[in-house]
Amino acid sequence: MPDISQHHPGQDDVLATRHDLAGLIVSTLSLDMTPDTIDPDAPLFGEGLGLDSIDALEIALAVSKHYGFELRSDDERNKRIFATLDSLAAHVAANRTR
Amino acid sequence: MADAYRLVGRPLTAPLFYTAGGVIDGAALLRAAARIGASLAGDGPVLNLCTERLGFAAGIVAALLQGRVSVLAPDRSPAGLAALLAQFPDAVTLADGDPALTVLPQDHAGPMPDNLAIPAGRLAAIVLTSGTTGRPVAHQKAWGALVERSLAAGERFGWTDECTPWSVLATVPGHHMYGFETSVLLPLHAAVATWCGPTLLPADVRAALAAVPSPTVLVTAPLHLRALLEAGMTPGPQQVISASAPLDRALAARAEALWGAPVLEIFGATEVGSIASRRTVGAGGGGVESGGEGGGEAWLAYPGVQVAAGDSTIVTAAHALPTVLADVIEPCGDGLFNVLGRQSDLVKIAGKRASLAALTHTLAMLEGVEDAAFLIPDEIERAGRLVAFAVAPSRRADDLLSELRRQADPAFLPRRVLLVDRLPRNEVGKVPRQALLSLLAASGVAST
Repeated sequence: MPDISQHHPGQDDVLATRHDLAGLIVSTLSLDMTPDTIDPDAPLFGEGLGLDSIDALEIALAVSKHYGFELRSDDERNKRIFATLDSLAAHVAANRTR
Repeated sequence: MADAYRLVGRPLTAPLFYTAGGVIDGAALLRAAARIGASLAGDGPVLNLCTERLGFAAGIVAALLQGRVSVLAPDRSPAGLAALLAQFPDAVTLADGDPALTVLPQDHAGPMPDNLAIPAGRLAAIVLTSGTTGRPVAHQKAWGALVERSLAAGERFGWTDECTPWSVLATVPGHHMYGFETSVLLPLHAAVATWCGPTLLPADVRAALAAVPSPTVLVTAPLHLRALLEAGMTPGPQQVISASAPLDRALAARAEALWGAPVLEIFGATEVGSIASRRTVGAGGGGVESGGEGGGEAWLAYPGVQVAAGDSTIVTAAHALPTVLADVIEPCGDGLFNVLGRQSDLVKIAGKRASLAALTHTLAMLEGVEDAAFLIPDEIERAGRLVAFAVAPSRRADDLLSELRRQADPAFLPRRVLLVDRLPRNEVGKVPRQALLSLLAASGVAST
């Protein structure tokens, strides 16, 4: 039985979470686009979607409310987690408690 | 008021900064600063672009050791940096990742520099803000003025006891005036030490609170404070300081109830730094010994700071030139004053500021744009984003946004650029805010 906090989600879990998360990001930030137009491999911050640290804060809050765990920004690993929709979805799928 | 102030006005064994790797005391900071200083070419100003707080602070101290001026620039866009290098052609640049910027706990390596007594009148920093014409405006900071303000803040907020130093957790960046004063300069002269790890997300602040000694003061802005409350962070700090935007009283009351800590606001501006404080709920003043004089709305000037009303608002303080403030104030006796409003069109987001006129100008100058306007939504601290309107029949909205991204600070990038056939200009050529709000509402209906 894998530890729930570090379980390894299947590809379907990640895809479902990615779809869900894209919708959450679009609604949280009131982005003028539909969730399925976010390129899962494009950078969320800077070039690409063009988000900044205030957006990161809002996304982190929405993720903790929606998925029941907190994101941190304190190391290189976490910078990679926030890199793209795909990387964030993989992290959320592995750590979500709801 | 002295003629000179030491670089570190505290025991050199006192903690100044906390990192995940250990404590940085005055001696370790001075040693690191001496090494950084020795690595700098020439003798021009130091363009300090570090975002990592400890490296930034060490760079500031290194510049002071060498008698150089530090230049602080909030606008890090490629165009902003190019303008900066043109303005300071002999400047050397310090940025994150520079190998010279290594600051180590218990550092006994290399020569220990003198803890210099620096003349009060020496120019220590130039802090840039966006001007109304789009050209940055330079605000000069004398060393004595910065130190006196740290001492005044220490007195006001009760950070004076070396036996019980406070830990500062700042969610605001060190290179903006508010964060510069409270998280970088303050540890040099008041009994505080600043946490240098990440503080962006609620989980970061939670971890930082667990990592530093009590008592702790959270130095923040309304946006971050709201996020911490929404995350239900407990335990909390022993004191909260907010600035950069008006703090909602209900939000302050929520924080006081959750953490049992006073929530205090600092009033200031890049031109003059921090000049007054208040407790957001309850009686005014905002000091440890705030006597309940005046209402909760009133600000109490820092010790040694005078704020005079007249045709314009003039601030005078030790070692600082009299400075005109963009806010209109009304004195109400005993150092208390009310702020009636701003005289200009400055917009402030996340502690940064820009001029709406300059932003509009930038958008209007893009190829194919015939007319342009910016709208500040009602709840700027909540929504956090501007909306731009452009008349540009030959252009796509997302292309305009990409071009703006190269020229404007990210905080002021509009969330969206709405293309319109014409702007609702009134008979005197102004675009009424209400008309833009209607236009925005209409576009929302149209897009769903």
